[in-house]
Amino acid sequence: MAAEQRKRDSVGMRMEGCRTNNGFVLNEDIAEPDPCEPGSSRDPPQPNAAAAVSVAASPEPGAQEPYAGMPKEVLFRFSGRARYRVPRELLFWLVVVAVCLLVAATVTIIAVSPKCLDWWQAGAMYQIYPRSFKDSDKDGNGDLKGIQEKLDYITTLNVKTVWITSFYKSSLKDFRYAVEDFQEVDPIFGTMKDFEDLVAAIHDKGLKLIIDFIPNHTSDKHTWFQLSRTRTGKYTDYYIWHNCTQENGITIPPNNWLSVYGNSSWHFDEVRKQCYFHQFLKEQPDLNFRNPAVQEEIKEIMQFWLAKGVDGFSFDAVKFLLEAESLRNEIQVNQSQSPDTVTNYSQLYHDFTTTQVGMHDIIRDFRQTMNQYSREPGRYRFMGTEASAESIGRTMMYYGLPFIQEADFPFNHFLAMLNTLSGNNVYDAITSWMENMPEGKWPNWKTGGPDTSRLTSRLGNQYVNAMNMLIFTLPGTPITYYGEEIGMGNILVTNSNESYNTNTLASKSPMQWDNSSNAGFSESNYTWLPTNSDYHTVNVNVQKMEPSSALKFYQDLSKLHASELLLSRGWFCLLRNDSHAVAYTRQMDGIDRVFIVVLNFGESSMLLNLQDMMAGLPTWLPVRLSTNPASKGSKVDTRGVPLERGEGLILEHNTDTLPHHQAAFRNKCFVSNRACYSGALDLLYSLC
Amino acid sequence: QSSKDLGLLETSTNCILLHTQVGLLSGICIIVGTIIGSGIFISPKPVLANTEAVGPCLIIWAACGILATLGALCFAELGTMITKSGGEYPYLMEAFGPIPAYLFSWTSLIVMKPSSFAIICLSFSEYVCAAFYASCKPPHVVVKCLAAAAILVLTTVNALSVRLGSYVQNVFTAAKLVIVVIIIISGIVLLAQGELRQERMGWGKVWMVSLWPRLTWNSLCILRVVLNSRNLPLAIIIGIPLVTVCYILMNVSYFTVMTPTELLQSQAVAVTFGDRVLYPASWVVPLFVAFSTIGAANGTCFTTGRLIYVAGREGHMLKVLSYISVKRLTPAPALIFYGIIATIYIIPGDINSLVNYFSFAAWLFYGMTFLGLLVMRFTRKDLERPIMVPIVIPILVTVTSVFLVLAPIISEPAWEYLYCVLFILSGLIFYFLFVYYKFGWAQKISKPVTMHLQMLMEVVPPEKDPE
Repeated sequence: MAAEQRKRDSVGMRMEGCRTNNGFVLNEDIAEPDPCEPGSSRDPPQPNAAAAVSVAASPEPGAQEPYAGMPKEVLFRFSGRARYRVPRELLFWLVVVAVCLLVAATVTIIAVSPKCLDWWQAGAMYQIYPRSFKDSDKDGNGDLKGIQEKLDYITTLNVKTVWITSFYKSSLKDFRYAVEDFQEVDPIFGTMKDFEDLVAAIHDKGLKLIIDFIPNHTSDKHTWFQLSRTRTGKYTDYYIWHNCTQENGITIPPNNWLSVYGNSSWHFDEVRKQCYFHQFLKEQPDLNFRNPAVQEEIKEIMQFWLAKGVDGFSFDAVKFLLEAESLRNEIQVNQSQSPDTVTNYSQLYHDFTTTQVGMHDIIRDFRQTMNQYSREPGRYRFMGTEASAESIGRTMMYYGLPFIQEADFPFNHFLAMLNTLSGNNVYDAITSWMENMPEGKWPNWKTGGPDTSRLTSRLGNQYVNAMNMLIFTLPGTPITYYGEEIGMGNILVTNSNESYNTNTLASKSPMQWDNSSNAGFSESNYTWLPTNSDYHTVNVNVQKMEPSSALKFYQDLSKLHASELLLSRGWFCLLRNDSHAVAYTRQMDGIDRVFIVVLNFGESSMLLNLQDMMAGLPTWLPVRLSTNPASKGSKVDTRGVPLERGEGLILEHNTDTLPHHQAAFRNKCFVSNRACYSGALDLLYSLC
Repeated sequence: QSSKDLGLLETSTNCILLHTQVGLLSGICIIVGTIIGSGIFISPKPVLANTEAVGPCLIIWAACGILATLGALCFAELGTMITKSGGEYPYLMEAFGPIPAYLFSWTSLIVMKPSSFAIICLSFSEYVCAAFYASCKPPHVVVKCLAAAAILVLTTVNALSVRLGSYVQNVFTAAKLVIVVIIIISGIVLLAQGELRQERMGWGKVWMVSLWPRLTWNSLCILRVVLNSRNLPLAIIIGIPLVTVCYILMNVSYFTVMTPTELLQSQAVAVTFGDRVLYPASWVVPLFVAFSTIGAANGTCFTTGRLIYVAGREGHMLKVLSYISVKRLTPAPALIFYGIIATIYIIPGDINSLVNYFSFAAWLFYGMTFLGLLVMRFTRKDLERPIMVPIVIPILVTVTSVFLVLAPIISEPAWEYLYCVLFILSGLIFYFLFVYYKFGWAQKISKPVTMHLQMLMEVVPPEKDPE
């Protein structure tokens, strides 16, 4: 048996290819080369061995005692004893068991690990209006290179994602909606090379980039439209054309549909002698999404940007993608009104021009295209949808169905649309989202955007810190529009030849960087929009130095959000609402701490009795973070937490009875992805 | 039972010796197989990103390949002149005496080798676990559990049977070569379809930085393999440029589907490549990369086991480390020691920094080895040198090594380098206490320990002292 085993050993060794000789070789430098012919190795090596043994006989052949360095004859006399054999066997099996246990532990941990937060969940998004962020070439317009210059600033905000709104080659001066070429950067923002550099720089900083995508329509200067109006080949049906009559310069449209900006959404084209449909301006003809060729074109454009390394899209105006083929008239809000006078968009119910059957299928199709680019590890492509002015129910449709993936989230504008603040309306905005959101989905909170008035101007600048605290302590992804972190306000645009609607420009003023001219936005003597006059006090440079500034507070919040599991993926329980204040808790199983967030959105200062809202609170709770720098590190009385107008506090409560286990908070608690934390192993697990 | 004896070891040793006369082709195969590490699949971490034109880049490439070849040739001379195992140890011993040799084995046995073993196993583990954590880093616990399991399995396998160990090695080396060939071929196919964009070429030097150390590093163990081969210089001269060509071709393959920035930002370049080119069979790449990583870890078991064994034999470590398993004919104590130390290195938070700082120590010893070659040209003229390289070559590589030792210290001075030096020198304390003076009380402790360990592991001293 043993001899056979050996034979196999030596034969095996000789047969091995490349690496044989890395095996353990004892005496390479044996002087006498004793070539081992194929035959000799098959012989039992016994004689050889015997000779070797006699040569290397131990110095004390008769010794009965073991000694260090003993040869095998002596060794075998003792090593078979139970006191050596048993531990030897034991140790060997211990190693085997240890390997099994380690592998089992690995498999178990992997199996019970909850799905980890993807990059779009892990940190805040920072939305940039590129024309107003930073001008690098002194033409008074912000550009992509400018954004790249300011990436260091963006990293100090601890945000994860940069969101750049539309920068496509566009004919409209507002640069937002009328795209002439989806695969070109508008010259005002730079070149494609600038964009590629920006993508690389953003990724180098560990950030992600999402961009706007506007599938619904193009500019009337777009090649497709030019080819479509001349009925050229496949482009004939790229847009929505219908016969209509024109008499004496007055068009009689096919139906009563209205454009978002008022008046008929049909426009007569002199070249094609037909009407085309436009949901927005007449310079923005709607693409015909019922045409598969158009869908393919759009997908190709998506692939173009995904291949450039873009990490996701914000799909704009998707509810307008499809319109009813029947062209039925939409119903008037006020039935008694004469149909001729109905010109305002709000005077119709838009049952046949928005959210048509099949629209979600198109978006899910987009999702599939994006998934093809999401396979590489860490390269998930994010999909967000703009669903402004939609009901909460319709908004939630964009989250998809349990088995059909759609948007990662529709952007949540409900906080950005609040024009007055109170405990109740903030509470409603939160609960309506959290209660309607499908289970397991991920919320998000937006305080502003290019199309809404700046927070300071809308609500008052004493609420800047409280609103930032709100979005960073609610569950989900906080989204910040540029300038909101320093509390920039609206500008008054009185005369501008730049846009169709001066109101939409109010929140697009140049970013306020420092005290220098044009707030450090541009070195030219002209900027496309005037700088807000408050830029001497409200700017990045000043706030960087000032410990109690909005910017510092924003950084503290984003740091806390990144470092505390409670905030990034913990439970969220709403406490009873109050007409002035909003109070809620964040906690996680396995962490014996609860964050209690209280925010006063009322008009005046108040005392909030937390003990009424939550049982088992100690009288005094320490403040973890406060909008008022003075109260940092202090303690507050839970029987009456003093809150100034617009003040917010994060209180830290050490307890092991977490609110979401309590009956009192049933139906008041939410979690997107249930996970528990094990402090001993520093890992999350889902079995709890 | 008792019929299993050490005679076999001798027999098989002779066979192995006989077998070292590998043909030119297998010699080249060994060189290519061992030099290409898993780095080319994973990430060009040690990269300084600056764009340059294709021309200068290729020149730097060629220069690196040449330098590496020269370094390997120096080792060829040393290896054929002093035919003893144990890495640089016997060369340093021969050239400078026991103290530098002792410090070398001290540093490499306690820090460099086990920590790199641990690192390789950790990266294997991270690689495997990452597949299950799509969007975030796997928790440390998981990575460490699997890495520890890998270390235990590898050391056990190698301690149980040389044959099994080398079998494992062959399989994984083959896996590595397969994936290299897959990547190169698919790159060529893509290239034929005209996918390569000229501007991407400039980044070929990405890999250069990691190429040169890797080449020399591994030439050590290659030389063990093809020792005494008349084909050795030829194998080196063909093999190493071939590796360089492989590297360039793999880079070209990567550049056919990735921009330079994507390449730099990819967590695992080969996986990205697989995702884009081989889909839906893209799972092949991570699987094979994991194989090649574990193969690399297994390879260190081979070479380091020997190093520890030699140090033990010379009395520079506990004697018991040089003993051989009676039944299994493996250097079991050395391997177990290696495994234990490596497992200890897994436990603390981050050992990457440790390895980084000690890489300068590696270069220090390389430099000393090359210097030793020069010194022995004058002190040991009598030794037979089957291969004798022109004296310019060792001078050149010595200067390069000195540069590589000093460059990181001068460009980024850090206290850690001083700690490394102190650690290396602290070996002297042990040297004088236990090796030089051999205090009686040290013997009193080590003797019973050795005895009991011997009986526990069933190991005995090697029969014939090679010296």
